Amino acid sequence: MKQMSVVADSPVHSSSSDDFVAFLDNELGASSPDSSPDKEAESQDELESVRIKRRKIESIDETEGSTSEGIIKQNLEASVEVDVCTHPGSFGSMCIRCGQKLDGESGVTFGYIHKGLRLHEEEISRLRNTDMKSLLGHKKLYFVLDLDHTLLNSTLLAHLSSEESYLLNQTDSLADVSKGSLFKLEHMHMMTKLRPFVRSFLKEASKMFEMYIYTMGDRPYALEMAKLLDPQGEYFNAKVISRDDGTQKHQKGLDVVLGQESAVLILDDTEHAWMKHKDNLILMERYHFFASSCRQFGFNCKSLAELRNDEDETDGALAKILRVLKQVHCTFFNKHQDDLVDRDVRQVLSSVRSKVLGGCVIIFSRIFHGALPSLRKMAEQLGATCLTEVDPSVTHVVATDAGTEKSWWAVKENKFLVHPRWIEAANYFWEKQPEENFIIKKKQ
Amino acid sequence: MFFHIVLERNMQLHPRYFGRNLRDNLVSKLMKDVEGTCSGRHGFVVAVTGIENIGKGLIRDGTGFVTFPVKYQCVVFRPFKGEILEAVVTMVNKMGFFAEAGPVQIFVSNHLIPDDMEFQSGDMPNYTTSDGSVKIQKDSEVRLKIIGTRVDATEIFCIGTIKDDFLGVINDPATV
Repeated sequence: MKQMSVVADSPVHSSSSDDFVAFLDNELGASSPDSSPDKEAESQDELESVRIKRRKIESIDETEGSTSEGIIKQNLEASVEVDVCTHPGSFGSMCIRCGQKLDGESGVTFGYIHKGLRLHEEEISRLRNTDMKSLLGHKKLYFVLDLDHTLLNSTLLAHLSSEESYLLNQTDSLADVSKGSLFKLEHMHMMTKLRPFVRSFLKEASKMFEMYIYTMGDRPYALEMAKLLDPQGEYFNAKVISRDDGTQKHQKGLDVVLGQESAVLILDDTEHAWMKHKDNLILMERYHFFASSCRQFGFNCKSLAELRNDEDETDGALAKILRVLKQVHCTFFNKHQDDLVDRDVRQVLSSVRSKVLGGCVIIFSRIFHGALPSLRKMAEQLGATCLTEVDPSVTHVVATDAGTEKSWWAVKENKFLVHPRWIEAANYFWEKQPEENFIIKKKQ
Repeated sequence: MFFHIVLERNMQLHPRYFGRNLRDNLVSKLMKDVEGTCSGRHGFVVAVTGIENIGKGLIRDGTGFVTFPVKYQCVVFRPFKGEILEAVVTMVNKMGFFAEAGPVQIFVSNHLIPDDMEFQSGDMPNYTTSDGSVKIQKDSEVRLKIIGTRVDATEIFCIGTIKDDFLGVINDPATV
């Protein structure tokens, strides 16, 4: 009881070491009253017998001393722990470090890793820092992937158009998902088509990145899709984030990703989901395999499924993006000798991006006002120079109509006259597209 | 720790079960109701082992349901602070690892893993000592000490540590 009270008091004192020494002396003295100094004054005659006796007593003292010391130490440790423990996180409302029950929910939830797990900001940044070092040591970066329209396309069975119903007979077996690409998920009333090249894409990307899935779908859907993409659980093990795990509604954020923002690449088809992390984003051309998906985005054209067509396996969007990833990865790790930790993948990404349309001088002609600023920004990010007045240095005139003054000028001066889609395509594929595919037809 | 204790419960039974098999019905319903549940006081009910006594039923007005007070013996499992448990690792990540001992979910954070063990990422994430002699990965069996417990209606959460003498891996699946 005495010890307890001392320990309870100890936090009050600012410097506890002196107190502790006094306390220790006191305790040790109290526990070994037999070894008092007057024993030293025994006469020489009795030395022999006393020595034996002393030895006995000493050995008792020693054990007593060490046990009481042990108790003190333990108590001290406990008290220090209670004082020092910053409660870096919680699991089932208990501190993950000291086991103490914590009331009130604070920190960021990491439900996608394990139910009931929460971590505090400092702990997250500590984990990010330590992880960063080992990751860079393995020459890897982080990669956050979206599911729908990026890696695959899903539709409700009820939304299949009549021209698509033939697909029902062509679905692949769920017994070995690693071979197929079209799956019917009866219990979810859904059909899912994986984007061509996705398996090679993930395999290649996993060598360069630690990968996360981040989807706006709900958790059961996200896990089901992860199972289709990664049946062995080798890429996305406990790294599947769904909308239930995000911290903000209708937004995706890197706060739940345990990776430093300067080392994260994102692949998504929806730019506005990543308002805070646009610099990390690689925008993906949407994959619309099913008609319901086309309708959802307001396209009236036939779906790939209706046309019985699909993206190219070796030269589709994913294959093109993989080349960009390889380039970014290579640039990041091969850059001159500055410290790896100080490098920022966002800078690498923007420098790679700015070479796409490098050397192009663009002038816009009669582009719809609402679309102009974003188009101009896109072109500038891709490295093109945008002018407002006609100039001999202009290489491309971007217009939707061949009848404008600038369009005439382009034809006369033998400059490229292209549709705005030329810029958009370059933005998606990270490659200057052949201009002849984007020629504007004369209006009748 | 396991305990063999006597608990009591009021069982509501639908009139359709009245008849010759009333007792059997009552017992099977009891098992269905309580086995696998948790209570903060007693822990996880592993199995009903016997019926001590079934009291007189009370017919409820209006519904015809009958309430029987049932005293039953059962085996319960409850982890305690300071208890040493053996558990199977279910997940390893940079924050630490999760392990299971029956219904109990235990988290051992990397603060409570010995400092000489380092996290190794990859398709089989693990914690390994610098000389590679000890490895904790999924399906490893570990001996750990409980430093905190919380019992919910259906789950028991524990915080564990292996930063102490004689704790850690007891059976490594990789070497078997």
